[in-house]
Amino acid sequence: MYRYLDLSRQKIGHVLSAALLLALGGIAETAIAQTTGTSQLSGKLVVTGASTLAPLISEIGKRFESLSPNVRVDVQTGGSSRGVADARQGLADIGMVSRAMKDDEKDLHAFPVARDGVGIILHKDNPVQSLTDEQVIAIYTGRIINWKDVGGKDAPITVVNKAEGRSTLEVFLHYFKLKNADVKAQVVIGDNEQGVKTVAGSRHGIGYVSIGTAEYDESQGVPIKLLPTGGVPASTETVRNGTFPISRPLHIVTRTSPIGLTKAFIDYAQSKAVHDIIAQQYFVPLVN
Amino acid sequence: MAETLSRSQNPRERLAFVLVWGAAAVVTATFCWLLGDILWHGLSRLSWTFLTAPPESAGRRGGIGPILVSTFLILGVCLAVSLPIGVGTAILLAEFTSDQGLFGRMTRRSLDVLAGVPSIVFGLFGNAFFCKMLGLGFSILSGGLTLACMVLPILIRSTEEGFRAVPANYRISAAALGLSRTTTLVHLLLPAAVPGLLVGLVLGVGRAIAETAALIFTSGYVDRMPESLLDSGRALSIHIFDLSMNVSGGDANAYGSALVLVVLLLLINGAASWLATYGLHRKIATI
Repeated sequence: MYRYLDLSRQKIGHVLSAALLLALGGIAETAIAQTTGTSQLSGKLVVTGASTLAPLISEIGKRFESLSPNVRVDVQTGGSSRGVADARQGLADIGMVSRAMKDDEKDLHAFPVARDGVGIILHKDNPVQSLTDEQVIAIYTGRIINWKDVGGKDAPITVVNKAEGRSTLEVFLHYFKLKNADVKAQVVIGDNEQGVKTVAGSRHGIGYVSIGTAEYDESQGVPIKLLPTGGVPASTETVRNGTFPISRPLHIVTRTSPIGLTKAFIDYAQSKAVHDIIAQQYFVPLVN
Repeated sequence: MAETLSRSQNPRERLAFVLVWGAAAVVTATFCWLLGDILWHGLSRLSWTFLTAPPESAGRRGGIGPILVSTFLILGVCLAVSLPIGVGTAILLAEFTSDQGLFGRMTRRSLDVLAGVPSIVFGLFGNAFFCKMLGLGFSILSGGLTLACMVLPILIRSTEEGFRAVPANYRISAAALGLSRTTTLVHLLLPAAVPGLLVGLVLGVGRAIAETAALIFTSGYVDRMPESLLDSGRALSIHIFDLSMNVSGGDANAYGSALVLVVLLLLINGAASWLATYGLHRKIATI
C-alpha cells in the first residue's frame, strides 16, 4: 500500500511525462499485445457495456484472472448501447449487451452467457394481486390513472419507467408492444436496484425490474411484490424453464470472430464453471 | 439581557428570531439525520479488514482496500497537477494583471463559467480527450487529470482571493526595501495567501473525492488493486453508487463505504483547518 502512495507523491512527474510521451507516440493503452502461449495466456481484455452485466462479468473476470495470472480483465459499465458502440469501434475487446441482438447489430458476434426475466413490481401493501397485459398497457399509457379501476384502493398510480437506452425498457416495451413516446411516467429511473427502491418507497407505485434483483430484495424484507405475467408467476425458476414470457438473454459481443485470449474468456464465460457466479448475481444460467 | 427580553416581545422581532433559528435548526438537523443514518447502518461494517480486503461478489462481501488505494491515487494525481497550475494562475491573476484588464477579466469569467459546468460534462470531456485522444484509456491518470480540470476553477479563484486579501502595504514596503518581486512573492505574499489556498483546496478536494459522474467514464469501474497509474481503478463514490443502485444486496457495504468517505472528508477538512491555524502562524512569524 505504501508503495503506491510513494509513487503518487514522488514519481508523479516521471509517470506524467512518460504518459505524455506514450500519448504523443500514439500508443493506445489497450494495444498491449494479446498473446496466446500454448500453456499460458497473457494480456489485457477491455470489456464495456450494460450495467446489469458489469458485476457478473467482473466476477467471472476475477475467477478467470486467478486461473491465468498474466491476464487482466478490465470491466467498464455504461449501458448496452455503449457496449455495442465500443465493440464496433474497437474501444473494447468485448461488449456487454443485456438484451437480444437487434437486426442492425448482425455485424457483431454475440454470445449468450445467461438469462434474466423482467417482472412487474408493486408495493407490498398494494391489494392488487395481478394485472392483465391490457391493464398494464392502459396504466403505462395513462388510460388508467387510479388503482380503483384495476381492483385496488382509491389512489393515483405512480408509474415508474426506465430511462432511454436501458435494456429492461426495451424488453418491456417489446413485450407489451408499446413505444416509449406513449408511456406516461411519473418517475424515470436507471438501474434495477433504483427501481426496487423507488417502488418500495412509494405505496402506489408500479415498476418493472430484473426478476433476480426483485426476488432477492423481496427475500430481504424490502416491501415489494412481483406480479405474475400472462398467468405465469415471476420467478427465476419460471425464467429458467422458459415459461415466463418476458425475459432477455444477456450477451457478450465482439466485432470480429474471437481468437486467442478473447476466445478463451468467452468460452470460459459460457462454461458450466461459472454457473455458480451467475446464480450468485441473481441471473439464470443457460441450459446447454 | 433586559434588552433581548423586551425585543423578543415585539412580534416582528420574535418572528425573525424564530425564522433564523428555524433555518439554522433545519440545516443542522438535516446534517445530523444524514450522518446518523450513515453511522447507524455503516458503523457495524467498519473494521480493519473492511478497509484493507478486496471486494468480493461484486462488493456485497469483502472490503474496499483496492478502492481506497485507487481513490487516493486519483486524488494524488488531481492535486499534483492542479496545485502548481492553480497557484501559478492565481499569482498571475492577482499580482501581474490589473482588475480591469481585458485578459484578467476574460480569464476570470471563463473560470467562473467552468466552475459551474456539471461534472458529467467534465466526464465526457475527460473520456474524449484523456482516454481516447491521448490514448490513456480508462486509467487512474485519466480520472485524476479530469478531476484536476474540474477542481482548477475553484482552486484558482479562492487562491486569487487569498492574494488579494494581502494588504497593498506589504507589497509597497517590500518594494521600498529593495526586495525583488520574486522574493516578495515567495517569502511574503505566498505564506500570507495560504488561507485562501487552503479554502480552495478543501472545497476542491471535497468536490473531487465525492465525484461519481466524471470518474465513471475516465478512471472506470475495475475494483482490482491498481498496479500503475495507467490501470483503471474504481473510486469510492462510484463503488457506493454501484452498490446501492446496481447490486442487489449491496446496501450494507454501501453504507460502510459511505461512512469511510464521510470520515475521510472530515479528516481532510480538519487537517486543512489545523494547517491554517497552527502551521501558518509559525511560518509568517519566522519571515
